[in-house]
Amino acid sequence: MASSTGAGGEGQQIRVNFTTTLPELQLPEDKSQLLVPGDIKRYGLSRVVNSDAMLNTDSPIPLDFLINGTFLRTSLEDYLRDNGLSFETTVTLQYVRSLVPPIYQASFEHDDWVADVDVLSSTSRAGLWAGNNLPQGQDRVVSASYDGLLRIWNMSGQVIATSASMSSKSFPSTDYVPAIKSAKFLDATRVASAGMDQTVRVWKYKEGADRLSGDLKPTLELLGHKGGIESMDVHTPSSRILTASNTGEIGFWTTSASAAPDAPRKRAAASQPCQEAQGFSSSWRPKGCFVDDECYQHYDDGTPLIVPVLCSGHQHPLLAAGTSARHITLVDPRASATTTSVMTLRGHRNFVTSLSASPNDNYSLVSGSHDGTCRIWDLRSVRTGSKAEGGGSVSEAVYIIERESQKGQKKKSDISGAGCKVFGVAWDKQWGIVSGGEDKKVQINKGSDLLAK
Amino acid sequence: MAPRTQLKRKASTAAAEAEAAAFSDSEFGDGVLEGVLSDDSEDEENSDDEAEDVDGQDEDLDSDEVPSEEDPDEKEDEEHDGPRYRVEKDANGGERYVYEEIDPVYDSDDSDAQDPENTIGNIPLKFYDQYPHIGYNIDGKKIMRPASGQALDALLDSIEIPKGWTGLTDPATGKPLNLSQKELELLRKIQMQEIPEEGYEQYPEYVPWFTHEEEKMPISAAPEPKRRFLPSKHEQQRIMKIVRAIREGRIQPYVPPEERDKEEDEEEEMYDLWANEEAQPPHVMHIPPPKQPPPGFDLSYKYAILLPLSAFFLPNKEEKKQWEETDPDEREKKYLPASYDALRKVPAYDTFVKESFERCLDLYLAPRVRRTRLNIDPNSLLPKLPRAEELRPFPTVGAVEYNHGSRVRSLAIDPSGEWVASGGDDGAVKFWELRSGKQVASIRISADEPVNAVKWRPGSAILTAAAGQDVYFIVPPMLDQEVQQASRAALDAGFGYATNGKTATLTSNGNRKDPPGTWARPGARLEDQGVLLKITVRADVKVINWHRRGDFLLTVSPTGQRSAVAIHTLSKHLTQIPFRKLPGLAQTAQFHPSRPLLFVALQRTIRVYDLQRQELVKAIQPGARWISSFDIHAASGDHLIVGSYDRRLLWHDLELSARPYKTMRFHPNAIRQVKYSRSFPLFADASDDGTIQLFHGRVHNDLMTDPTLVPLKQLKGHKVVNNLGVMDIDWHPTNPWLVSAGADGMCRLWA
Repeated sequence: MASSTGAGGEGQQIRVNFTTTLPELQLPEDKSQLLVPGDIKRYGLSRVVNSDAMLNTDSPIPLDFLINGTFLRTSLEDYLRDNGLSFETTVTLQYVRSLVPPIYQASFEHDDWVADVDVLSSTSRAGLWAGNNLPQGQDRVVSASYDGLLRIWNMSGQVIATSASMSSKSFPSTDYVPAIKSAKFLDATRVASAGMDQTVRVWKYKEGADRLSGDLKPTLELLGHKGGIESMDVHTPSSRILTASNTGEIGFWTTSASAAPDAPRKRAAASQPCQEAQGFSSSWRPKGCFVDDECYQHYDDGTPLIVPVLCSGHQHPLLAAGTSARHITLVDPRASATTTSVMTLRGHRNFVTSLSASPNDNYSLVSGSHDGTCRIWDLRSVRTGSKAEGGGSVSEAVYIIERESQKGQKKKSDISGAGCKVFGVAWDKQWGIVSGGEDKKVQINKGSDLLAK
Repeated sequence: MAPRTQLKRKASTAAAEAEAAAFSDSEFGDGVLEGVLSDDSEDEENSDDEAEDVDGQDEDLDSDEVPSEEDPDEKEDEEHDGPRYRVEKDANGGERYVYEEIDPVYDSDDSDAQDPENTIGNIPLKFYDQYPHIGYNIDGKKIMRPASGQALDALLDSIEIPKGWTGLTDPATGKPLNLSQKELELLRKIQMQEIPEEGYEQYPEYVPWFTHEEEKMPISAAPEPKRRFLPSKHEQQRIMKIVRAIREGRIQPYVPPEERDKEEDEEEEMYDLWANEEAQPPHVMHIPPPKQPPPGFDLSYKYAILLPLSAFFLPNKEEKKQWEETDPDEREKKYLPASYDALRKVPAYDTFVKESFERCLDLYLAPRVRRTRLNIDPNSLLPKLPRAEELRPFPTVGAVEYNHGSRVRSLAIDPSGEWVASGGDDGAVKFWELRSGKQVASIRISADEPVNAVKWRPGSAILTAAAGQDVYFIVPPMLDQEVQQASRAALDAGFGYATNGKTATLTSNGNRKDPPGTWARPGARLEDQGVLLKITVRADVKVINWHRRGDFLLTVSPTGQRSAVAIHTLSKHLTQIPFRKLPGLAQTAQFHPSRPLLFVALQRTIRVYDLQRQELVKAIQPGARWISSFDIHAASGDHLIVGSYDRRLLWHDLELSARPYKTMRFHPNAIRQVKYSRSFPLFADASDDGTIQLFHGRVHNDLMTDPTLVPLKQLKGHKVVNNLGVMDIDWHPTNPWLVSAGADGMCRLWA
C-alpha cells in the first residue's frame, strides 16, 4: 500500500520480478525485484532492464516481456486490469530478446510467379555447409519461378544468373512451361531445383570475377517421379536430396552422379500410400540423420490437415506443419507415433505453404501463406485455445508481413490473398525474411537490428 | 293592510292629539271590543305600537303620498294640476320654460335621520308640563307629548257604550244592531274554545260511586273464594311455558347489554377480507378473454396530416365505394380511415355501441375452451442431427480463385486432384493448377460455340469437352509424357475399327443412314494443342458423362429428338443411340457407378435402364417440375440426389420408393448442379442465386437406418450475372474441397 500511496499522481506502482532463460542476460539475484510504475510499457521496461543499474549493456538490447505466456503489448496496468489481476501481487516478467518488426527492404521483380526462394549467406545453412569455400560477401538469393527458370540475385537486387529453360514441349503450340516448384542451395556453387517436369536438377553455379554475372549449368538430372515435384530439401554433408511429388511419392536421391544408379537414378519407394504428401523441408536433424518421411494425414477438429511443410530447424525437436486448414500444427515426434499436436499457430486465412525457422533463436518461425502474408510466430507466447479452436495451446502471430505490392490497392476479391499468395519463404540472419509469391516478386523484410547482437 | 292602517292610525294620534276626536267611532269601537275580550294583551300591543312608532312615521315619510309635511295640500295641487313650469317669453320673443325650484326634501331622503329629536337642551322636562309639547325638533316644530295610558283610560272611561253595541245598522229594522247577552256569551265561549252548547257542563261535580274506604257493613257477606288463597294455575301454565322455552333455548336468559356485546365480540370474529390482499395468480380454470387489437395508426384523426403520403393511405373513391358495397361482416376493416383538421371536428365513433355489443356477445356466447397444452419440449421434436461442427471436414471458405474471363459453364477436377479444367462461353477450355490457381494451359476449341461441358476420363488424363455438336478429347500438356503417350494410344486405338460411316446401315429407302456420331481428327491447329479427337453428334451436347471404366461415355443433347442420348465407345470409335424414342426431353444421363445401369433424367422423371437386359428397370419420380441435374451416390449406389429448376433438392433412396426420401427447398432460385463427394459424406448443390449449399449426407451400411442429412453451410462468393449464379460444381477426388464455376467468369476452390 505504501507504494501505491507514495506514487502520488504517477499512478500505481507494481512490484515486478524479472526472469529470463537467456544465460547471457541473467540479472543478479538481488536486482530482479523492482517497483515499476503501472503505466510502463514494453519500451520502458526494456530501458529499465537495459539501464546501468540492471544489465548495464553497452548497446541497449531490445527486449520483449512475457507475462503469463503472452507478450506484453499494453501498459502493465492495463494488462492487470484486463485480466482481473491484483495490483498488489508481484508480477513475474520474463524478458526475451525482442523480435523487431520486420521492415520492408526491397522487392525483386520476376516475370512470373515465384514458387520458392532460398538464401545463401555466411549464416545460412548452405553457407555453413560451404564452410570456407564461401567467398566473403557472396550473399545470394535463388528464386524458383513458374516460368521454369531459376534466378540468382545479389543483395542489390541484380540478377546474377538465370538458368536455361529445360522444358521440352509435348505439343508444339502449347505455351506450357513446367514450373520449378523448389530450389535450394546445396553449397556456394551448387543449386538443386525440382519442379513440375518431375525432374530434380543439380546446377553448377559459377560467378564471374566481378561478381555481377554468373552462369548456371545443369550437371545432374534425377528422374523417377511420376508426378510434379512439389517440395524438395537437401542435405549437402550426406549428399542427399529429399523430394515429394503430388502423386504421393517421396523421392530420396543422391547428389553425386557416380553414386547414382541409372535412370531412374534412385527413388525411395513411397513408404506408405500417402493420400497427399505435399512435401517437407528441413527434415534433417542437426546430427545428420533425417526424420523419416513425415507425411501426415492429420485430423484436427474434424478437418483433414494436409501437411505440406514440415520444419524442425530448432534445437528442440518440434515439427511445425503448415496445413490447408489455415493453421500451423506443432508436433512432437518423440511423444507418440501417432501425431500429437503440441500447439497450434492460428491466424492465417488460407493455406499455409511454407515455413522457415528463425536463425536467431529457437522459438521463432516464419510462415508464408496463400492469404498473402508472412507471419512471424513466437512459441513462447501461448494461450489456451477456445473450444471453437479445439482447445489445446494456441499461439498467435507476433508480426504480420503484408505483400508490399498490394499496399494501397483495392481488394478485388473476398478471398484472402487473391493475387498475392506467398509460395516460399526463407529466414536468414543476413537477408532477413525473404518471401516470394503470386505478385511475381521476391520481397525482403528485415528487422532493423536482427543482425545486431 | 290591517297592521298598516293600524300603524297609520297610531302615527296620526302621535302627530295630533286633537284630531283623535274627529276619528270615526267605529275605530274606537274595535278597540273597545279588544279591550273587553282580551285585556292582558292590550298592554303588549300598545307597547309594541309605541316602540314601532318611529318606524311607522318613517314609512309614512317614505311614501309618495306624504312627501313633505310643510305644504302637503299645495304639493298635491301641483301634482295634479298640470305642468310644474311656467311659460315665459325670452328676449327673442320665443317661449321659454321656467321650471320651479325643486324641493329636494333632504330630510325625507335621510333614512338615518333620528325621529324628532328634542332640541330643548339640558333643561328639565317638567318645564313643559303645562304644554301639550315637550320641546322642538331641529326644524323648530313642536314635539308633541306622547299620549299616556292614563289619558287614554280617562278618555275611554268618559265614553259610555251600551252593552252589545256593534256600531252596525240592522238592515231589516234600520236600527243599530246590538248583540244580546246570549249571543255575547256564545261568542265568548267560541273565543274561549269552550263547547258552545247551551247547558253543557264541562266540569260537573264528581260523584264518588266507588271508594277505597272500607265499608263497615259490606254489601255481600260471602266468604272469600278458595282460589284467592291458591297459586294461580294459569300463571303456573304460563310460567312453565316460559321455563320450557328457556330450557329449549328459545328464550335466552337476560344478559346486560355490555356483557352481551362483549360475548358477541368474542364469538364472532370479523375478518377484514381485504386486509392482506395480494395479487393472486388467476385460477387454473380462468380463461382470459381474447385481446382486441389495439387501434391502428389509421384511426388517428390526424392521419392525413401526420403522414406525408397521406393521400396514398387514405382510401380513394374506388376503395370507398368498394368498402361501402361489401357486406359489413366481410369488410377487411370496420372503418374507413379519415382525416380531420382538428380534434373537435372528429365525429363520435358511430359504431361504438354496436362494437361493444358485439364484443360482449363474443365474450358471452363464444365458448372459450381450455386446450390441453402438450408438454413437449419443441426441441425434442426436431430430429437429432449432429451439429455442423462435429461433421467436419467440409469446405468453409474460398481458398483460390481462377479467373476464366467469361461465363464458365462447366468445370472438372482431374482424377489426380491436381488440375482443374474449366469451359466457358468464350469457347476455351482452361487448365489450372488447383492449389496455386496458376493457369497452365488454355485451348480454344471453338470460335463461336460455348463449351457446355467438360469431363475428365476416369483414371486417366483425358479431358472431354463439349462445344456445340462436337465433343473434343484433350490431352492436357502439363502431364507426364508417359501419361500423355498412354492417352494418345487410348484415343487412337479406335481408328483401327473403322466402323465409322463405312458400316452405316441402309434405311428401308436404300439411302445411306446418317451415322449418329462422326469420329474424326479435329484439325492440325487443335492437334498441336493436344486436342486429338472429335465426335460430332446431331445436336448440341450439354452433358458428358463417363462410364467408370473409361471406355464408354454418354452425351446428352436435350434438343436432339431421338438421338438425345448417345453412348460412345472410345475403344471402337463407335456411337450408338440406345433409345428409339424417349418419353420426354432428356436433361441429363449418367452411368451407375457400379452396376450396369443407365440413368436418364427426363423433365419430370428419371428412368433407370438395365444395359445388359436392355429394359427399363424403374422410373423415379422426384416430383420436381423440371429436373436440372442428378448424381448417384458412389459408395452405396442406391441413393440419388436430384436438383431441379424449381428450386428443389431431392434425396432419393432407390430401394425405398420412387418418391423422394427428403425434399429440401432452401434456394430462392433454380438449382443447376448437384454433386456427391466421392471421398466424404458430403454433397453440394449450385444455384442461380450465387450460392452453394453444402450438406452432410451419410448413408449407413445397414438397410434399416435412414441416411443422415444435415445442412452444413452456404458458400457465398459468386456474383449473380444475368440471373445466373453458380453454373457447375465439382468435388476434389480426395480432399473435402469443392470447385465451383460462376457466371461471373470466376471459378473458386472452397476449402
